Amino acid sequence: MLTGIVFDVKEFAIHDGPGIRTTVFLKGCPLHCAWCHNPEGISPKPQVLHAPSGDRVAGTVYTPAELAWILNAQADIMRANEGGVTFSGGEPLRQARFVAATARLLRGMHILLDTSGYATKGDLRLVVALCDMVYYDLKLIDPAQHRRYTGYDNAPILHNFHVLGGLGVPYVVRVPLIPGVTDTDDNLAAIAATVRGAPGLLRVDLLPYNHVAGGKYAAAGMTFAPPYDEARPLNINTAVFTEAGVPVHVA
Amino acid sequence: MEQHLEEMKRRVRDGEHNRWRQDSVPDVLAECEAEGLSWVRRAARLTRRMCEAERPVIEPDERIVFTRTLRTIPPVYSPADWAARTAGRTVHELGCVNNICADWGMILSQGLLGRRQVALESRQRLADQPEVVEFLDAAVETIDAVLGLAARYAHEARELGRLDVAALLERVPAHPAKTFHEALQALRVVHAVLWLSGHYQNAFGRLDQYLWPYLEADLRAGRLDSAGAQALLAEFFIASNKDADLYPGVQKGDNGQTLVLGGVRPDGTCGVNGLTRLALRAALEVSMIDPKINLRIDPGTDLDLLSLASELTRKGLGFPQYSNDAVVIPGLVAHGYDLADARDYVMAACWEFIIPGKGMEVVNTGAVSFPAAVDRGLREALPAGGDFQAVLEGTRQDVRRQVERVVGDYRRLILPPAPYYSIMLDGCLEQGRDASEGLKYNNFGIHGAASANAADALAAVRKLVFEEQSIDRATLLRALDANWEGYEPLRCRLAEEGPRVGNDDDAADELLVKLFGYLAQACDAAGDNGRGGRVRPGTGSAMYYVWLARGNPGMREPVVGATAEGRRVGDLFGANLAPAQGVRVRGPISTLRSFSKIDYQRICNGGPITLELSDAVFRDAESISKVAMLVRTFAQVGCQQLQVNTVNLETLLDAKAHPERHKNLIVRVWGWSGYFCELAPEYQDHIIARQMHTMV
Repeated sequence: MLTGIVFDVKEFAIHDGPGIRTTVFLKGCPLHCAWCHNPEGISPKPQVLHAPSGDRVAGTVYTPAELAWILNAQADIMRANEGGVTFSGGEPLRQARFVAATARLLRGMHILLDTSGYATKGDLRLVVALCDMVYYDLKLIDPAQHRRYTGYDNAPILHNFHVLGGLGVPYVVRVPLIPGVTDTDDNLAAIAATVRGAPGLLRVDLLPYNHVAGGKYAAAGMTFAPPYDEARPLNINTAVFTEAGVPVHVA
Repeated sequence: MEQHLEEMKRRVRDGEHNRWRQDSVPDVLAECEAEGLSWVRRAARLTRRMCEAERPVIEPDERIVFTRTLRTIPPVYSPADWAARTAGRTVHELGCVNNICADWGMILSQGLLGRRQVALESRQRLADQPEVVEFLDAAVETIDAVLGLAARYAHEARELGRLDVAALLERVPAHPAKTFHEALQALRVVHAVLWLSGHYQNAFGRLDQYLWPYLEADLRAGRLDSAGAQALLAEFFIASNKDADLYPGVQKGDNGQTLVLGGVRPDGTCGVNGLTRLALRAALEVSMIDPKINLRIDPGTDLDLLSLASELTRKGLGFPQYSNDAVVIPGLVAHGYDLADARDYVMAACWEFIIPGKGMEVVNTGAVSFPAAVDRGLREALPAGGDFQAVLEGTRQDVRRQVERVVGDYRRLILPPAPYYSIMLDGCLEQGRDASEGLKYNNFGIHGAASANAADALAAVRKLVFEEQSIDRATLLRALDANWEGYEPLRCRLAEEGPRVGNDDDAADELLVKLFGYLAQACDAAGDNGRGGRVRPGTGSAMYYVWLARGNPGMREPVVGATAEGRRVGDLFGANLAPAQGVRVRGPISTLRSFSKIDYQRICNGGPITLELSDAVFRDAESISKVAMLVRTFAQVGCQQLQVNTVNLETLLDAKAHPERHKNLIVRVWGWSGYFCELAPEYQDHIIARQMHTMV
C-alpha cells in the first residue's frame, strides 16, 4: 500500500501561500543545506525529538486517504478563505507519488508545492500537474558553491526550473538569503539572469536569514555548525532583480 | 496621534496626575451613625460626600475633564454593623452592586435634571409608600451631588479662563447632551462617580450605538470632522486609564471597563456605523489597557472591519474580544431574554453577556470544577468495578452537587442599595425601586472551568483503562494519589496517548460536550435563583484555572490533586476554552472546530476560546487579513466567543522557564514558523532578544 511519512501538519501557515492554509511537512530530503532549519525533515525515517518540552516522535506514516481525510475536514474553511494546502518538507517531491495521490483526493482546494527542485523531471511533472501554484527555491547558481553548501549538484534544479516554466502553473522563486553565501551580488545577479523572462514567474521572494535556523538541531540529536558567519549583515540586493525587470519581494 | 494626546498619555502612564490626590477621605461613617441613617440613605450620603470632597482638576490641554483625587472609598458601616446586617446571607465579592451596565443612552439623552424630574414625579405619585419615598429622596441626593460637582468644575474652569470647559460643564451632565463632545464629558463624570460610590467593574456598554446620534449630528452640521471626533474619543479613552490604579480587582487592569462595538441593533438591522470604526482606530492609536474593546460580529461581518480589529490584536493588548451574534442572541433568547433585549447585549467585566439598563445579574457567582467532578467520578466508579458509564454518571452527579452548593449560597445573596446606579438603570426611578432589588433580568452565571483538562482525563481513561484495558484501575488511582511519583511512564502514556480537546478529535470533544451538557442540566435543575432569575452556565474560567489547581482562601470550589490526563498536583489548568496546557494541536482551525461542538444554546454565560498567535504572524497587511479570516471562520463554524492574543515577551520568558506549558507557542524562522519550545536555549534567547528589540 502506498504510504507517506510526514513530520508535521500545521494549520494557519500564513506565510506558506495565499489565504488560510495548512502545510504538510513531508519527511526526507535529498539535500543537506548547511542552513537547514528543519533538521528533522532530512531523514526519511521517524525519529524522536528530545525537546525541553518533552519527547515526541517526528514522523507519522499516512496513506493518501488518511492524510486527505484530515485535510478535507477543513476544505470548506480553506475554500472560503482563498486558501488550501501546501506540501512542503523536507522535499515533498521525494514522495511524489504519495503527494500526487493525496492531492488527487483533496476537494477543490488551492494546492501549493514548496520544493527545492531537486527531483526527477517525472516527479516534478507528476505533482505540478495537480497544483495551483509552486514555490521553487533557487539557492546558488554556481555548481561548485551549490555542492559545497548543499552537498549536491544543482544541475537537476536548474534543469527542472526550465521544465517548470513550460508546465503552465504560476510559481514564485524563493531565495533564502544566507550571509556571505547566497546573498552575494554575484549569486543574486546569476539568479536574476536565470529567472529573467521565465514564463509563469510571479515574483522572486528574498527570505532574509533568521538566526533561529539552528534551533531544532539539539532536539534532533544533531549539531548545527554553519560554515558561514551568521552575524554578518545581509546583502539584501533587490536592485539586481528590479533592473532585470523581475518583480521582487523581501519576505 | 496628536502631540498633545501623546503627551497626555505619557502623563497618565507616568502617574503625574497622582500629585492631585488627597491624603484623606471624608468620614462618612461617623455622620451616618450620628444621624442613624438607613441603608439607602447611607449609600446616597457616600456619593454626596465623595462628590463634595472631590477637588476640580483641569489640566491646560484637557478637553474632557475629571480627575479623581480621592484614593479610597470610605465605609458607611462599622464592621460590627455590617456583620450583623449580612449575618446568614451571602455577600458577593466586595458587597456592593457591580459588574453591570448602565443605560448610558438614557442618561445622556435625558440628562441628570431629566432623571431628577422623573424621580420627583414618582415621589409625588407614590407618596404613600415611605420606603419608595426614601429611595427616591436618596436618588435625588446623588443627582444633586453630581450636579454640584459639575458646577464646581465649571466654576474652576471659568476661574482658569477655560470658557470651553466651563460651557460644557454648565450644560452636562445636567441637561441632555447635544454634541459628541458633551456626551463624552457627561459620560466621563457620571461614570467616574459610579466608582466614587464604591461600584466597580462599571461597563461602558455599546458606545458606538448610544454615541453615534450625537456624532452623526455633529458631522452633518459640520461642527466636527472625523479626525476631530477621533481625537476627542482618544482623549476619553486615555482619561479612562487615569484612575485605574484605584479600582479594585484581582489584578491591576482586571477592572471591567469594557466597551462594546458592532453587532445588530435591537430591531435586528446591522449596527455597525461610522463610530464603530472610529472607536477601533482611536483604541489603536491610544493602545492602553482601558477601555477593553469587545467587537460583536457574525458570519457575514466584512473583512475590512475584522482587519481593523486585528490591527488591535497585533498590539498585544489582549483585545478586541469577539462575540458571535449568530450564536449569542439565540442563546439568550433560549434563556428567557426578549429578542430585542438579547440583540442589545453587552459584555460584563470579562465576557459574560448582560443587557444594559435591564440586567441586575450576578454573572460570576462561582465555578464548577470539571476536573474535580471527573476525579470524583473515577474514585467512585473504578474501585467499585463500574464501567465508563458509571464514571460519567459520578461526574454528572458531582457537577450537580457543585452547582447546588454555589447556587444554594447565592440564594441568600444580599445586595446593598444602589441609589446612584439606579438613576441610570431602566425603571428604577419610574417605579421607585432600587436596582439592588432586581431589574428585568436577574440571572446568575456560573463558570464551567477547566473543561478541556477534564474532557482529556475522561478520554484518556476511556481509551486506556476501559477500551484497551492497558492501565489497571487500582494502579491509576494509586498513581493519582502519589502525584505520579514512581508512575512516570504511566503518566506519560495518559498524557500522550489519550485523545485531546482542541484537535477536532471527536473522541475527546464528545466528552467536552457531555460535560457542558451536565452543567446545563444542573443549572436547569437549580430552577429559580431566589431573585426571579435562573442560573446560566458558561465556558469561562476567570482566575479559577489557578484557584482550582492551587486553592485560594475563602473559595467555595473544590481543589483537585493530580488528574488523569497526566497533570501533576498544582499544575495550572487551561484558561477558558483552550487546549489544556502542554497539549500539541495542529492549529487554530482544529481548535475552533473542537469548541464549535458545544451546545451554546444551553451554555450562555460566555467564556472565550483563547488563541495565541505570535506577533510575527502580523508582520504585513496580507497576514492581518488572514487573521481577519481566522476571526470570521470562528463565527462561521458557530463558536460563541473568541480572544486572540499576540504572543509577547512575557509569554516568551514564561515559555523559556516552563516549556511544558507552551508547546504551541509559535515563532517565526524564515519562510516557516517553528515551535518555540523545540528550539535550543540559545535560540530562544535570541528570539527573546528580538522581542525586546521590537518592544519600543
